[in-house]
Amino acid sequence: MKEIIAIIRPNRINATKRILMDNHFPAFTCRSCLGRGRKNADTELVAALMEAGKLPQDVIGEHFTEATRLIAKRLFTLVTSDDLAEKAVRLIIEANQTGNPGDGKIFVCPIAESYRVRDGEAADEIF
Amino acid sequence: MQLIRAIIRPNKTNEVITELLAAGFPAITKMEVYGRGKQKGIIVGNIQYDEIPKEMLMIVCDDENKEDIVKIIIRTARTGAGNFGDGKIFVSPVSEAYTVSNGKPEL
Repeated sequence: MKEIIAIIRPNRINATKRILMDNHFPAFTCRSCLGRGRKNADTELVAALMEAGKLPQDVIGEHFTEATRLIAKRLFTLVTSDDLAEKAVRLIIEANQTGNPGDGKIFVCPIAESYRVRDGEAADEIF
Repeated sequence: MQLIRAIIRPNKTNEVITELLAAGFPAITKMEVYGRGKQKGIIVGNIQYDEIPKEMLMIVCDDENKEDIVKIIIRTARTGAGNFGDGKIFVSPVSEAYTVSNGKPEL
């Protein structure tokens, strides 16, 4: 089994959910996080946009701190079988690609075992 | 590639992130977590506080940078010899990494 960890833009989460659902990947876990890539965030640009009223001040300001310059992202996790991992990665890229830096990263990690809590059985197949 | 997950004190994260940036490791993901360690949380009188707020840093790096990053986190997040609650660092393998913006299979 493989765990796919995708760090993506918050506003692409609905598109990602939809494309995965359409292609029979219904199960996922998602949570909000803050992050930074190789490029630093341009705090001056964001401040200028917020002053011009093009960005909502409350949401961005809360998650965008000058000291560490982290940007709000969503951490999207799903576990699939080995042979489906590549397809899932391709779908996530398709749903999130805008061509700009900051689209996110996808990591694929091995999972040794998985269990279903409901009956305590080892679940080779997640669903 | 390796995935480094460090669970550290919230008041140390800024310092750790700044140190990592200075050492040339800018990419990082941070999230708030709650947990307890070997000491079963903090016990005050009869009350046990076992959901202590921490922050988790996630860093994916090449194998050769792993030790540097772990050393920087340990050096910066430590509050002093023998203090409980400074955190833990876990390192696990990552088999593939993709950049969404260009779809390339590289970090």
